[in-house]
Amino acid sequence: MYKALVCCRAGMGSSMLLKIKADQVIKENSFPIETEHGNLDSLMGFSGDLVITMSDLADELKSQVPYALGIRNIVDKDEMKEKLSAFLAEKEGK
Amino acid sequence: MIEGVMNEKLIQLNVAADDWQDAIQKALQPFVEYDYVKQSYVDAIIQNVKDLGPYIVITKHVALPHAQTESGTLKNGIGITTLKRPVCFGNEDNDPVKYLFGLSATDSEKHLDALADLAQLIEEPSFFSLLDKAESSQEIMNYLQKRF
Repeated sequence: MYKALVCCRAGMGSSMLLKIKADQVIKENSFPIETEHGNLDSLMGFSGDLVITMSDLADELKSQVPYALGIRNIVDKDEMKEKLSAFLAEKEGK
Repeated sequence: MIEGVMNEKLIQLNVAADDWQDAIQKALQPFVEYDYVKQSYVDAIIQNVKDLGPYIVITKHVALPHAQTESGTLKNGIGITTLKRPVCFGNEDNDPVKYLFGLSATDSEKHLDALADLAQLIEEPSFFSLLDKAESSQEIMNYLQKRF
């Protein structure tokens, strides 16, 4: 099981929605990923495998976390599925 | 559920806004008027977008204006504002924004159920048709009360 942190830039609005959508896609596809919700502060000391966030923030985080996945459109389940699949493909490839 | 944190007073249709800042100010105006948030919360949203970019624009034509709880939220609320003329936030994937769902959360756990309902609604083209066609806030409240 891989551990993912879902976060966004401020407050707990978009990141909560992002977690809800990510969980739906993970469940529908039985992906071996567990999500937890947090803010940017939770990133310090985060020891999981993946950070799920909005695309603008993902670019900044790429150098700081093992894997950052950036979503452009929260509602687009195909985008979420594609990006989670790419993460899993990279993990299993190692 | 969502109708518990929504209030007819937080729903505004066909609002005229000059630009994104004006749109945020107007979308949150009833939150300030009815003591859901302090004006400092609205200022924090605008400052965050200036400093961090349009992080509140989350899908096509939709923004979720919100900031940190510490910036001045007083009670949980979700509002709906539709704009007469869409405005650009500088989010190339999802501009221009026509629908703003203002959020105020004092407690993230309690807020979660309402957000799950909102997540469902923003996936549905029929919900946006309703927002476009509705002539009163009451029509939208009626729909949400029937639905959830």
